[in-house]
Amino acid sequence: MESRGMARADLITAAVLIALGVAVVYGSWTMPRLEMRGIHPSSVPGLVPGVLGALLVVCGVLLGARSRGAGPAERSGGSNELWRLGVTTAIGLVYALGLVGWLPFWLATAVFVFVFVVVFEGPLGETKTDLRRSAVVALMLAVITGGAVSYIFQELFLVRLP
Amino acid sequence: MFEGLELLGRGVGHFLTPISIFNVAWATLLGIVIGALPGLTATLGVALLVTLTYKMAPDQAILTLVCMYVGAIYGGSRSAILLNIPGTPASAATTLDGYPLALRGQAGYAMGIATTSSALGTMVGIVCLAIFAPLLAELALDFGSYEFFWLAVFGVVISGQLTATDTPLKGYIAGILGLLAAMVGMEGIHAHQRFTFGIHQLGGGIDIIPAMVGAFGFAEILTVMKNRSAVVIGSSIDRVVPRVADVLKYWRTIIRSGVIGTFVGIIPGVGEDIGAWASYAAARRASREREQFGKGSVEGLTAAETGNSAVVPGALIPALTLAIPGSAPAAVLLAALFIHGVRPGPMIMLENPGFVYEMVGMLLLATIAITVYGLSLTRVLVKVLRIPRERLMPVVFVLCVIGPYAITQRMFDVYVMLFFGIVGFILREMKYPMAPLVLGIILGDLLDTNLRRGLVVSDGDPSPFFTRPISLLLFSVTALTIILSIPAVKNGARRAFHHLLPGRSAG
Repeated sequence: MESRGMARADLITAAVLIALGVAVVYGSWTMPRLEMRGIHPSSVPGLVPGVLGALLVVCGVLLGARSRGAGPAERSGGSNELWRLGVTTAIGLVYALGLVGWLPFWLATAVFVFVFVVVFEGPLGETKTDLRRSAVVALMLAVITGGAVSYIFQELFLVRLP
Repeated sequence: MFEGLELLGRGVGHFLTPISIFNVAWATLLGIVIGALPGLTATLGVALLVTLTYKMAPDQAILTLVCMYVGAIYGGSRSAILLNIPGTPASAATTLDGYPLALRGQAGYAMGIATTSSALGTMVGIVCLAIFAPLLAELALDFGSYEFFWLAVFGVVISGQLTATDTPLKGYIAGILGLLAAMVGMEGIHAHQRFTFGIHQLGGGIDIIPAMVGAFGFAEILTVMKNRSAVVIGSSIDRVVPRVADVLKYWRTIIRSGVIGTFVGIIPGVGEDIGAWASYAAARRASREREQFGKGSVEGLTAAETGNSAVVPGALIPALTLAIPGSAPAAVLLAALFIHGVRPGPMIMLENPGFVYEMVGMLLLATIAITVYGLSLTRVLVKVLRIPRERLMPVVFVLCVIGPYAITQRMFDVYVMLFFGIVGFILREMKYPMAPLVLGIILGDLLDTNLRRGLVVSDGDPSPFFTRPISLLLFSVTALTIILSIPAVKNGARRAFHHLLPGRSAG
């Protein structure tokens, strides 16, 4: 079951690697060879990336050959697992790409920590917990983390926070 | 001889100050806690601590990083014994015998044995570091571009071969991706900008610290949050401090595992997990009680913990003398050495001869600290394991965001961290090892500049890459490693071996 799913994933990866390898070889081939500067032809900047791109194509072909005959994609892991993964990624990205820089750092951090704890101890929790107690703990952790991290980096390390 | 001893004495004495001891105390404890918590690895711990210590005096900053490294590798044994989950990959072999001992009600005894074994393993590695690092540095003085090129290739290939859990091909792919990542930015010979696509922040290349924090921090958070949580066992802890006789009973295993661990550490990019497995396998083969292995064998636990801890000083030998890291945490440490103005490489024994011995002093202090903490703070460390991941992981993620930002104070490094986190997670899920990727990023520049410089020196003639003795040796080992990883060749070699020696089993 799992190996068939993995073989399918390997087949897709092989295609991505071959495409990436070809793109790198093309990029290396068209890279300036700096003839105007009279450099030695063996030291052109595109030499090593070109070789690496070609090697990536070879590895992609080998990976594809190894995983040929893969069956249709199968779902790996339960839906709860996927939910937890998706929500962790989403909350993390919203914090790092959205909240940081938009809100003051301490507030952005506090909001992120609060939401993370409440979501994973509440709707996505593995065991039943008292939501009110969870929210109080989350709030305390959020304030302490936001305050402490901001203070340490801003006041002690003299970092201009985003 | 006497000069070496004098430098050793000075190296150790340099850190016998109150501030150093204070730094050893907190950094080692933090390391043990990070190592003990599943999902937080030694590499992440060292990478995050680089961001917290970059304003400290260089010697103190490096001291704290070394203590974090030693502490985290040791700390992984706690969750291996109590949760049956290795706190760091280094402790995977520890679970085999540590957890059965805990199930038998001997969790304290297992943790005591793990502590003394880790301390003795590090000591064996430290002795090897003090002896072999100066010798290797002297040997490396004769290395030219040809040798350094092959060293970089050898490092990525051997790391790809030994750390891959699925197929070596995935290890090689991870290594090539790492090398390609290192090609981004200004190259080292003509200062030409490659693959920057007009993004000026890419001009300086991809910094190793944000990449590592992403690949080992964010990716790990995603993995931990995806999986189910584990339950701590062993609420009552028995006797922790082992009897001297219990420790000395396995002195052969300790020395053997220490030497194997150090040797594995010296191999580029092959880290503590492989050191532990190799030591465990060797101990099992040599043991008279091999049927006990996997069922709570004290000898098995001793081998695993001695082996993984001995890798730490071993991994620092090539890092200091060749600027080629022996493991993933050593790669971060190497980056930190450059940040703090220490230039590792063959010239280190000429430019900064005391530094290797200062490193010995740092490791010695860290070893003493893990022994003291390991034997005294058992109950407190069990409580640490009970911190719910739902409350720990958001705090770790905040540090993953602010840590890379703090060094350069630009959001671009946060984006790099996120990119490597997501790509690292996907690669891990598909069983691509992270160590060759990291080694590729570190060694990419070395490989690139030395290949082209070598070709320029020989006027385009590649033959010196294959005819100089050390180059030929490195090329042969690399080629053999690749050829033997081809399944058909491997099976053929195995059949030929069995044909020649019919009495031997595959064992």
